Amino acid sequence: MADTDYPPLSPIARGLDRIDRGMFRVESMFNLTSALVILSLMLLAVVQVVGRKAFDMPIRGYVDWVEFAMAIFAFLSIAYTQRLGGHVRMEFFIGRFSGRLLWGLEIIGTLIAMFVIVILAWYGYTHFLRAWNIGDSSIDIQLPIWPGKLVVVIAFISLQFRLWVQLAGFIRLFFYPDAEPVAIPKIESVDEQAQHEIDAGLAGEEDKVTIVGTGVQR
Amino acid sequence: MDEFAIGLIGTTALLLLVFGGVRVFIVAALIGLMGTVAIIGWKAGAGISGTVPHSKSINYALSVLPMFILIGFIAYHGGLTHALFRAARAWVGWVPGGLAVASVFATAGFAAVSGASTATAAVFSRVAIPHMLAHGYDRRLAAGVVAAGGTLASLIPPSAILVIYAIIVEESVGTLILAGFIPGVVSALIYALLIIGQCMIWPEMGRAIPSPPWSERFSSLPGTIPIFVVVAVIFYSMYSGTATPTEAGALGAFVVLVVALAKGMRWGALREALLETAKLTVMIFALIWGVLIFVRFLGYAGLPQAFSEFVVELPFPPIVVMILILCGYAVLGMFMDAIGMLLLTLPVVHPAVIALGYDPIWFGIIVVKMCEVCLITPPVGLNCYVVSAVRPDIPLGDVFRGIGPFFVADAVTIGLFLAYPGIVLWLPNLVNS
Repeated sequence: MADTDYPPLSPIARGLDRIDRGMFRVESMFNLTSALVILSLMLLAVVQVVGRKAFDMPIRGYVDWVEFAMAIFAFLSIAYTQRLGGHVRMEFFIGRFSGRLLWGLEIIGTLIAMFVIVILAWYGYTHFLRAWNIGDSSIDIQLPIWPGKLVVVIAFISLQFRLWVQLAGFIRLFFYPDAEPVAIPKIESVDEQAQHEIDAGLAGEEDKVTIVGTGVQR
Repeated sequence: MDEFAIGLIGTTALLLLVFGGVRVFIVAALIGLMGTVAIIGWKAGAGISGTVPHSKSINYALSVLPMFILIGFIAYHGGLTHALFRAARAWVGWVPGGLAVASVFATAGFAAVSGASTATAAVFSRVAIPHMLAHGYDRRLAAGVVAAGGTLASLIPPSAILVIYAIIVEESVGTLILAGFIPGVVSALIYALLIIGQCMIWPEMGRAIPSPPWSERFSSLPGTIPIFVVVAVIFYSMYSGTATPTEAGALGAFVVLVVALAKGMRWGALREALLETAKLTVMIFALIWGVLIFVRFLGYAGLPQAFSEFVVELPFPPIVVMILILCGYAVLGMFMDAIGMLLLTLPVVHPAVIALGYDPIWFGIIVVKMCEVCLITPPVGLNCYVVSAVRPDIPLGDVFRGIGPFFVADAVTIGLFLAYPGIVLWLPNLVNS
């Protein structure tokens, strides 16, 4: 069924959609931050190698700096990736279900995730507090440890918000299975998975290949 | 209830939830958390589990992952695929099935750098298949070569999946990266021999093409230099120990970035590549810390140890047990993505393999090779699927028939590594000694 076949969104669904988009904007900024940190890390490492090999001038505390920045790309995009359904799962079985059964399973999965993340966020926070209180720092150039631990907590909180929105989206579909899905990641068909790989592979090519939505049966 | 029973219940619950489609990092963290709490109590258990994400992720050794991933996403923009195919064709086109052999080497070379098996198969369906068909090559062979060639991605350095293996089993990242090199090259050579053999028996499958003059052969080389530089920088750094894996990865990424920018890559495309890198990176980190919470619990429950003892006492020779383990991976790989499968199984399987007397480095190479084979086997066989999608004139069935011989070749390759572990271990031992 094409998207246009759905009845118009109800006011609640429109609100959910708006919240979803607003949050995604913040999550995208988080992801862009991670991306830029990765780019900077690459340049830093190049400077480090060239400096050390060619001029015998390594960057002071290079490993400390990398570990200082790591929390950003290791955690900050976690909600962004959740929104896009990018975290690994086995879709072989759940992908065969549809309607209430599917949405019911998704609700259970989301509740489990919320439970885990709340606990990890809380104990991550106490982990942060300890580092903050004792002024824990890195070995080489004494960079503080607490900012990294705080990033983990922020990432988990953002994931928790994302999970609330997804839960609302799944509950809505559980009650109205025929409504247009909003605020949830879709389960990708093999065609869609293949499309991602093709897009990645042909990123540098002029002609693109589109297989999703063309109605071609394989 | 004793700890072992809790361990078994936890593991069963883990499998049920994973098969039920809950995100793997969530399942692993949940079972790890609840299991640890059940054994050592709420305060200690939850407290310990809560520190794992930060303390295990913030580790310099893991910072190599985004570098390797970034190399992959930028590599598509440097015009490297066409250059590689042109060069391979100029140099090996003269053998029977020459264009197919050239495709194997070009695909393997590019896959090594991109690290992405399926996306590589997609781009070479565009780059190599038209040339093979224009020269009257059998289309099943043409499609099979490209689908299979992509699977050499994860052995030849740089390979993110070998890094993940090293981290999870606590082996040296550099050693694993080095160890993949010869097996990757051997796999490619076995593919090439297979094609040459087929085309000698049935010349109509693919004929040799005339060699261009030497000047043209040499002029085909400069375009491929970035690929060799990336592999060589990483290989040399690991071999000589002059740079850390992260530094080597960063240098490799820098090289492909410069080439891509020179070829006209714009900020928009670079931004896209960076965003994809960040997304994939966080996905892998989430899996790593999730699974490490689970691993703590397994340790408390004594499960890996019990499984090792069980495996060692089995009334079969170790090689039979090893083959059974590999068959288990082949089945699991039909349903699950390689990284998730490795991370979930290794905490239990790896100690057992060690207890059987096998080398952990060697096992890493074998199991990663096994994961790649799963990309060309039904029911999904994503590589085959993608080839057929980019080339609608080649039905999926033909791609699967074309890949059949390569599947046999892979079985032979794995058999070879089983029989002669030295193929895998010679290089890392040379460096370590």
